[in-house]
Amino acid sequence: MSLVPGLGIAKGMALTLRRFFEPKVTVMYPEDRRDVPHKFRGRLQLLYDEWGTLKCETCFQCAQACPIECIDMGGMDTRGRFHVHWGAPETYGERREESALRRSGRTVPDPAYRPFAAVDMTALDKILDEYDRDPARMLAILEDTQAAYGYLPVAALKRISQLTGAWYAMIYGTASYYSHLRFEPAEATHQAAAVDAHRPSEGSYLSALDTALGGAKGGKKGAGSPARA
Amino acid sequence: MVKLLKTPAAWPTILLERADAADPTDLDAASRAGAFDGLRRVIRNFGATATIATISGANLRGRGGAGFPAAVKWRTAATTDASRRYVVVNGYGADPATGTDAFLLERDPYAVIEGAAIVAFAIGATEAIIAVRADATEAIRRLGAAIGAGEEAGFIGFDAFGSGHDITVSVRPVQGAYMLGEETVLLKALEGKRGQPEQRPPHPAERGLFGMPTVVHNVQTVAAVPWIVRHGAEAFAAIGAPDSPGTILVQLRTPAGDGIAEVPMGAPLREIVALAGKLPAGRSLKAVLVGGPSGGLLPPDLLDTPYDFEPLRSAGAHIGSGSLVVADDRACVVDLARILTRFCAGEACGKTIPCRIGTRRLVEIADRMLDGRPRPTDTILLEDLSADIAASALCDHERLTTLPLLSGMRYFRSELDEHILRSACPAGVCHPIAVAAGAIP
Repeated sequence: MSLVPGLGIAKGMALTLRRFFEPKVTVMYPEDRRDVPHKFRGRLQLLYDEWGTLKCETCFQCAQACPIECIDMGGMDTRGRFHVHWGAPETYGERREESALRRSGRTVPDPAYRPFAAVDMTALDKILDEYDRDPARMLAILEDTQAAYGYLPVAALKRISQLTGAWYAMIYGTASYYSHLRFEPAEATHQAAAVDAHRPSEGSYLSALDTALGGAKGGKKGAGSPARA
Repeated sequence: MVKLLKTPAAWPTILLERADAADPTDLDAASRAGAFDGLRRVIRNFGATATIATISGANLRGRGGAGFPAAVKWRTAATTDASRRYVVVNGYGADPATGTDAFLLERDPYAVIEGAAIVAFAIGATEAIIAVRADATEAIRRLGAAIGAGEEAGFIGFDAFGSGHDITVSVRPVQGAYMLGEETVLLKALEGKRGQPEQRPPHPAERGLFGMPTVVHNVQTVAAVPWIVRHGAEAFAAIGAPDSPGTILVQLRTPAGDGIAEVPMGAPLREIVALAGKLPAGRSLKAVLVGGPSGGLLPPDLLDTPYDFEPLRSAGAHIGSGSLVVADDRACVVDLARILTRFCAGEACGKTIPCRIGTRRLVEIADRMLDGRPRPTDTILLEDLSADIAASALCDHERLTTLPLLSGMRYFRSELDEHILRSACPAGVCHPIAVAAGAIP
C-alpha cells in the first residue's frame, strides 16, 4: 500500500517499459541456431500444466527415439486402464534410485556393470579397411564382424565407431534391429529366446499357417527357414 | 524346389519367357533368346526420354504391391536435380510363404539385370543395386555369375555397349527383418542403418538412397521392362487388365498343391486358384487369403474378383506379395486372421505408435475372441482401432495389418459371432473356454 497515489501504476509501467527495451532472447530457431556442443540435445524435463498435472501423455515417443535407450518410462495410459512401460523391465525400478543418487552428486555402484571384454582387433581392422571404413557399409561390416568373432563384442562396436566415425548409438541401433546380428556368443541362447518370444520367427509363422490350414504339410519352402543361426 | 504351375495356353508369358533355359546363367543361350536386346535398343536407338515414354505408353505399374506407375517414378528421378541417382531392385520377398522373387531371380537373372540397366540408363543412374534375401543363395550365385558374364561381354558395367555410360549392377544380400520388403526400409538397410520406414513425400524417387533420387522397383517390374522395349508398348498394354497391363507372378498355396504361376493382371481369382488343381474330395473352398501375411480373406462368392490392384483393394485385400493361400473348410477364419495379425504385429519395426501399440492391441482383441473371453464391445473396438491405425499409418505395413481381421469380420461375420456369442468354433479349430460371454470380467 503506497502513500503516493498512482505510484503503483507508475512502478508497474516502468517495469513494462524496461522489459520493452530489453534485448530479447527469443531465438528464431530454424533460421538462427545457437552455438551448442555437437551432441547437445537439450535437457530432459517433464513439464506441468497450470493445474499441476503432468503434461506427459505417456506417448513413449521420447523413449522410443532415444538411440541409447537412456530414457525408460512407465505409467498408466491416458484413460487409466493399462500400465504401460518402455525400456528393459529389469532396470525399471533401480534406475530411478540411481538417478537420484547421481543428481545428488554421489557415485553409484552399479552391480550390473561389467567392463566389456577386450577382443583381438586384428580381424576387425582388416574388415574395416576392406570396407574403406565407410559407415554406409555398416551392415556388411557388422555381418563380417559377427562372422569373425561369432558375435558382436562391445569392444568391436566401439572400435567400429572410432574408425568409421559413426556414433556408437547408431551402430548399436542398427545391430539391435536385424535379427541375425547378436551381441552374445551363439551358446548364450537367452537373447535368441527372448527375441523369439517377442517376435515369432518366420518358421513358426509358416508352421502356424500350415496348422491353421488343416494339418501340417511341412517342407514347403527351404528358403523360408529363419535366417537366425 | 519350387514348382512352376502350368497355365492355360492363352495366357501370355512375359516374365518367365526364358524360365525353362537349361542354364539360366548361360549368356550366349540367353542372348539368342533375346537377353540384352532391349538394353542395346534403348542405348543405341531410343535414348533416355523415349525409353521413359515407351514405359509410360505401356502403362507398366509397380509389382511391389502398391501398383504405382513406373514411368512416373522414372520421370521424377530423371528430372530431380542431383549429382548421382540410384536404381534399387527389391528382390527381398519378405513374405516367408512366397518365393516368387527368388524364383524369378534364379530362373532368369538376365531379365532382372537387363531391366535394372535399362532403368539406370533411362534415369541417368550409374549404379543399380539388386537386393536379395541372404538365404536365397542360389539366386545370389546365379545373379553374380550373370553380372560377371554381362560385364565381360561389355553389355553392362564400364562403358555399356560402347555408349559412354557406366551402368554398374551389383547384388546386395540383405536379411534380418520382415520389414525390409518396404522400400524406404530397404533403402535404410542399404545405407547401413536401422530399418525403419521414412515419411513420404519426399518419395524415394526424389530423395532415396543416400539422399539421392532412387527408383525402387520390385524384381517383377524390372523384369518386364526389357520385354516392353523389345515388343513395344502397345503389345504390353494389350495384355492383362486395361488399367494395369502385363503379367504377375503368384505363389499358390492350396490343399491341392503349391506352386508359382505367371498370370495376366485382371485374371479372375477363380481361374488362378484352379491352377493348383482340384481340392481333395469332400473339401470345399472356404476362404482365399490374397496378399500374404497382411492380406485379406475373401469368401468363395468373391472368386470372380479380377486379380488387379483396385478391385482387390475395394474387396478388402491387396496384391501384396503375390501370395494366394486357399483355406478349405478345415480352417477357422478367425484363427487364421489372428495368426496373420500376430505375425505382422511381431514384425512391426516400432517406429510409429499406431503400429507398435495399435497392432499389438489388435492381436489382444483377436486373442480374447478366440480364447472365449470376448468383451461385448470388441467388434466395435476392432473396427475403430483398425480405422485409426489405417488413418495414422506411416507405411503400408501397419495400414495393411488391419486387413486380415477386417476382411475376416466383413465376410465371415457369422463365424466370428459364433466365437463371440456362443464361445464356439464352427470349424472346430479353436477351443474357446466354455464360459458364457462376459462371465469373466
